Amino acid sequence: MNEARDRILVVDDEPQIGKVVRRALESRGFDVRVAPDGESALDQFRSWQPQLVISDLAMPNVDGLTLCTRIRKSSAVPIIVLSVKGEEKTKVEALDAGADDYVTKPFGMDELLARVRALLRRVEAAPPASSDEDFDSGDFQVRPSQHRILVRGQEVHLTPKEYDLLLFFIAHRDRVLTHKTILTAIWGPNSASQGEYLRVFVGQLRKKIEPNPNRPQYLKTEPWIGYRFQTGL
Amino acid sequence: MIERLKPYAFATLLADATIGILVLTRHYFDDTTAALVMVLAIMATALLWKSGPALWASVICVICFNYYFIVPYGTLNIDAPEDVVAFIAFAAISIIMGQLSARVEARALQAEARRVEIESLYDKLRLVTEEAAEAELLRRSEKLKSALLDAVTHDLRTPLTSIKAAVTTMISELPREDGYQLELLQVIDEESDRLNRFIQEMMDLARLESGGLDMRRSEISISEIVETALERAAPLLVNHEVDVDLDPALPHLTVDAVAFSQVLYSLLDNATKYSPPGSRIVVSACSQDSTMLLSVHDQGPGIPRDLREKVFEKFFRAQATGTRRAGFGLGLSIAKGIVEAHSGKIWVEDSAGGGTSVVVSIPIGPALEQTA
Repeated sequence: MNEARDRILVVDDEPQIGKVVRRALESRGFDVRVAPDGESALDQFRSWQPQLVISDLAMPNVDGLTLCTRIRKSSAVPIIVLSVKGEEKTKVEALDAGADDYVTKPFGMDELLARVRALLRRVEAAPPASSDEDFDSGDFQVRPSQHRILVRGQEVHLTPKEYDLLLFFIAHRDRVLTHKTILTAIWGPNSASQGEYLRVFVGQLRKKIEPNPNRPQYLKTEPWIGYRFQTGL
Repeated sequence: MIERLKPYAFATLLADATIGILVLTRHYFDDTTAALVMVLAIMATALLWKSGPALWASVICVICFNYYFIVPYGTLNIDAPEDVVAFIAFAAISIIMGQLSARVEARALQAEARRVEIESLYDKLRLVTEEAAEAELLRRSEKLKSALLDAVTHDLRTPLTSIKAAVTTMISELPREDGYQLELLQVIDEESDRLNRFIQEMMDLARLESGGLDMRRSEISISEIVETALERAAPLLVNHEVDVDLDPALPHLTVDAVAFSQVLYSLLDNATKYSPPGSRIVVSACSQDSTMLLSVHDQGPGIPRDLREKVFEKFFRAQATGTRRAGFGLGLSIAKGIVEAHSGKIWVEDSAGGGTSVVVSIPIGPALEQTA
């Protein structure tokens, strides 16, 4: 992995924030461009083809939510949104619209860098989606042909739904998955409001895969938003 | 009964008086004039006492007219055929005039009643319109206030974001040996966090006080609220043991989940601040009648009785046991505001074995009605 070549597009209408984020990312070897609004961000995105986008939510003209939607129409590039407290609704909408993660302002640079790295790593080590080949993802070994998943080398016995759910989490690890996204993917579009249902399944899954289900290390709750799966890579 | 007969008595009196005067003065005019005067008296009766007494007066007048003014006088007989016609005409006119007059009067009364009713309706309408305008004005000013708060918060948060991002970048890039610089940079970092918390709390409080904190209620299980609050408070709880004891039979609550979880977070935050590291914090929830009791119990020194109300006041701070994380004394007053917005109560209790218990009670049933 050569981080120096990774291009990151930062979109924020506050010049100071853009300046600081650019400076911090550049010192880590990323190639960074800053766009002051969604409109110019879309132009930059098309011409420059960044590997990752970090975008503010509230911006004049084209806002962060619209930007996410537009980018997702043509690209699967990882998107991190920057939100402030009070924008929860828009944040979830952005995640539903395809953003991969969020960071709440004001944020520590370590946190932002960790999210950036995790997403870039995921893109580079993408599991063979819809393939029957075995693959490893951190503490998890997936054997799709046998419908088996090993956790830290140990076989776990999963019901078919639990298997689907865990596989979905592994395939979408290190990103925030909203309740709606998960429910729609596993139970179909008509179950998007069955939050309680999902909670029960996540609880069962935690009992089977977590060393301490009360303090989960893989399957983390994102309060009021959904879940984030960390494979321990 | 007597009240109802009164108009008849007056009608009789008026008719008798009129007839009496006419009989005494009959030499000055002819019988036709007498008939007209009697019709006049019947009309007056109708206007004053309505149709029943008017009919009664008509009967008296018709009989008396025949008795006193139709030949042969002093009897109820009629000799001349033209007198018969005159008598019938008089009887008909007196009855019809009486009834018509009464009806006109009744109509007039009805019209007056309607006018009064319309006027009162108009007044009510005006009042309602004025109230609606006031409510609209209030709503707009609340909206303005809320927008102003958002703008101020945004304007305070934006520079804080740059400061925090810049200082954390400097910290992470600082050579390890530069301990002196690191210490100063960490102060900037921690204080910017503190300022950020303060901004949030001031905003929550301002929202609560203006009644503008939208309670977005939905049905949620207490375990989800507890789980979320514990998750958020996890960094604060590293030095404490936490026990959770939730009655599994508790029904779902209809609350603003985010706000309510914030209440629990504040209680946990407080418990960690005012109890020694390594001690136990117990979160429990049960139902009692139609309320849910949620309590956070710590093994700290307890709160003296005279301070138990005060801890919920704004900017009140007790002496913290540790040196870390001085708050602003807003957490509990915000918690109180949120609980009260849910028609609930919050108080401090003695608990068995020492320590402090903060208890929240909120109605399980009525909350549902309010949202409905």
